[in-house]
Amino acid sequence: MIETLTSVFENFWVSLAGKLLLVALMVPLIGMVLGFAEMKLSAKMQARVGPYFAGGRWGWAQLIADGIKFFQKEDIIPEEADAPVFKAAPILVLVGTVALFVVIPFGPGLIFNDLDVGIFYALAISSLSTVGVLMAGWSSANKYSLIGGLRAAGQLIAYELPLVLAVVGTVIMAGTMSMQGIVEAQIAAGYPYVILQFVGFGIFMIAALAELTRIPFDMPIAESELVMGYVTEYSGFRFLFFFLAEFANMFTMSAIAATLFLGGYWLPGVPEDVLEFAGPFILLGKVFLLAFAMIWFRWTFPRFREDQLQSLAWKWLVPLALVNIAVTAILKVVL
Amino acid sequence: MVIDQDAMRHLSEAQVSVELATEDMTLNIGPQHPSTHGVLRLVARVDGERAYDVKPVIGYMHRGYEKLSEVRTYPQITALINRIDWVSGYANEVPFIVAAEKLMELEVPQRAQYIRLILTEMARISSHLVFMASYPLELGAATPLFFALRERERVLDLLEGVTGGRFHPNFNRIGGVKPNAGAGPTTRKTPQDLPAGFLNDTRDAMDKVLEVCDEIEDLVAGNEIILARTKGIGILPPEVAAAYGVSGPNLRASGVAFDLRKVENYLPYEDFDFSVVTGENGDCWDRWWVRLEEIRESAKIIQQAIDGMPPSGTLQAKVPKIIKVPAGETYVRAENPKGEMGYYLVSDGGLGPYRLKIRSASFSNISILPWILEGILVPDIIAIMGSLDFVLGDVDR
Amino acid sequence: MTSSPSETEAAEVTEHPLQGFADAVAEAVEGTAEIHFDTVKVTVPADRWLDTHSVARDELDLVFFSWLSAIDWSNEVAAGDPLSDEVEERIELMTTVGDLTEGKRVTFSTTLDKASPSIPTLIGVYAGANWHEREAAEMFGIDFEGHPELVHLYLPNGFIGNPLRKSYPLLSREVKPWPGTVDVEAMPEKEEPSTENPEA
Repeated sequence: MIETLTSVFENFWVSLAGKLLLVALMVPLIGMVLGFAEMKLSAKMQARVGPYFAGGRWGWAQLIADGIKFFQKEDIIPEEADAPVFKAAPILVLVGTVALFVVIPFGPGLIFNDLDVGIFYALAISSLSTVGVLMAGWSSANKYSLIGGLRAAGQLIAYELPLVLAVVGTVIMAGTMSMQGIVEAQIAAGYPYVILQFVGFGIFMIAALAELTRIPFDMPIAESELVMGYVTEYSGFRFLFFFLAEFANMFTMSAIAATLFLGGYWLPGVPEDVLEFAGPFILLGKVFLLAFAMIWFRWTFPRFREDQLQSLAWKWLVPLALVNIAVTAILKVVL
Repeated sequence: MVIDQDAMRHLSEAQVSVELATEDMTLNIGPQHPSTHGVLRLVARVDGERAYDVKPVIGYMHRGYEKLSEVRTYPQITALINRIDWVSGYANEVPFIVAAEKLMELEVPQRAQYIRLILTEMARISSHLVFMASYPLELGAATPLFFALRERERVLDLLEGVTGGRFHPNFNRIGGVKPNAGAGPTTRKTPQDLPAGFLNDTRDAMDKVLEVCDEIEDLVAGNEIILARTKGIGILPPEVAAAYGVSGPNLRASGVAFDLRKVENYLPYEDFDFSVVTGENGDCWDRWWVRLEEIRESAKIIQQAIDGMPPSGTLQAKVPKIIKVPAGETYVRAENPKGEMGYYLVSDGGLGPYRLKIRSASFSNISILPWILEGILVPDIIAIMGSLDFVLGDVDR
Repeated sequence: MTSSPSETEAAEVTEHPLQGFADAVAEAVEGTAEIHFDTVKVTVPADRWLDTHSVARDELDLVFFSWLSAIDWSNEVAAGDPLSDEVEERIELMTTVGDLTEGKRVTFSTTLDKASPSIPTLIGVYAGANWHEREAAEMFGIDFEGHPELVHLYLPNGFIGNPLRKSYPLLSREVKPWPGTVDVEAMPEKEEPSTENPEA
């Protein structure tokens, strides 16, 4: 009796430690893979070569070298800055991103924690990084950073709503908020929800791009206007945190979209007993497909203006999402 | 408890007025900023995202060329004025050289004039391609930059082949163009002419430029976000533009069909068939469009000039070894890529000018900024500033 | 080639194609017109400066303001070559305005007193004169009456002097003579100390 208890106890801590280690490895790894993909893909799109020398071949070690470089750099905190807030901001941004990994199902049973309110948790926790961004903008004692932070806050309010509303359709169809449950519902239905929820998927992706502050919605950073906005004053590993958070966030947002709309770790035609092993790879494939689209947009589009973004959110996406919910709900009842 | 109604009313009023008044922020854009093309500084009062009382501060790059010209000899001055608008260095030389030739009453050989014309148009193409590269970048699209710069390299290579310099050719001589113009080893026996194959290479390059213009048009003009960011933004009415001395593509974008290549005779433009491109609304979009079309027109002019190139011969009129320009004064202006570039040359018959007034295009073009940026959103400041296409060397001289 | 006297005379008599335009401008603004190498220059008295430009803009349709600048006519120069002939010491203020159809342009010129050059501002007529006048003000020390913001444009705030005045020395030329002899001469501070040094 005692032995089993201790083994459970041990198991809990061991598994927690294992999970923490896994996330701690995954975030930088994903950051590097996606960062490298972005470098190489953008180079391909722009008739360039991209990283070439680092590591001997294709410049594969470029981002490792970059990471080491960031740690070597001086950690500059502006004299006028609000130091505690300034220091806390990048950590908060990264934590908000890392916490999202908890609810992503990589395969049947392969999930850090299958919360009953999984998707609700994901949407709530993803807003945390925007608080970090606002803190960074406010504490930097830089007018450009401040404008960037405020733009980020405005963007969050405008895009959190369509993001949530876009998800509701899926939740209605699946009848559960658990991420694992949504995937299982899609397996049971036999088709990924994007087929019926294409409007929701489109809105979700647009809103996710805005959440990620990537072009065409990168007004909070806006290099040519705000000189990198809220990250202007950051250097060294604090900057690296923002950098990692951006790519890790890209991964998690893509993973959530893949789970909700594209069937997650499931692919039609793949037998269920294989999913245990193939699941993570199927999910990764879908994630990279979506991430590729994001990178593609980034290097194709210019940036919107802040007021154009707001009107897009409030005048188009929110009404569209509401209509989508209404239609989904009616169909659910009728059929 | 007795409530003092008067005091309450007073309090509520006070609160209303407190809520209405928000503090404005003074925003310094530049002198070090990615979108100010160098060291322009704007001091703006911003209320939220809206800017008021925008004051450009210039002079960070003032090099005093007008004073320096007074202590230089005429052949030395071309090396200075190359650096005024460095994006189209070659085009700066021409009006000055023509002014000096006018005072000396020299007849420049036709072939030399054609070479000047081709190189000037190449400078225009390279300058406009820089605009094609940088303007989408300022709006956030990075990719057109590489396509435009790739073509510009093609043009600059040719320019370098003839003149030996990519940015600062210093190629014109009073009375013609540089002897031994790019003719390989500079022995006395080599013919003074263009490098072998230059004309054919240029014709091919112009075909490529025309192709890439279509590519850029697809990439940029087909983009809804670019249109949303530029159409109806920064409208410049023609009468305001004229009063401020805004010239060149910026003026033509406002619908004024005025091109100094058509009305002045500093180079033999009357031999060629080209049209003056004008915009309709005078907004940022039209300024972009006019420049794209001007690249096409320039490419056509160059191809025509190659077809009509006079046969090989001397490239230099007879001038004395020590050049002294007879006393007199004249103003020669030219249609440079950025607009009207002119030199008021006052000579006293000496080795150098007594006074050289340099009228540069960008200086007048950006003097419109306080007018055009009043009450504009901060992102639009960047969009408008970029669309005026200025170079700080051309502003500060 | 030798030309017979009658030919040269005929060439002189032949009217310059711009003569008619020059005369028309001169008449409209009550000034005197000259043509220097295809440049029409109309000289007006300083007190008619504003009227001249109003007439040019409104009646002659010369709406395009090209530039405004000045020339310091001076017999003694601190930098550059001196004038070969004696001139009247003065500051010549010039503007060039043009139309936007046929490419006509006129350079207006007026003479200002060198000791205290002062003239009303043109901003009311051509808004673009603002920066040009600021430049002329700092470079030549001209006072443009009624200018809203006559502060330095190019020069630093505390700068003293008017660099484009001929009396303003060019410091680099003060320490290094020009032209051509720089390479063979020692820099001033490296010169041998004077032998007449009275070792008292």
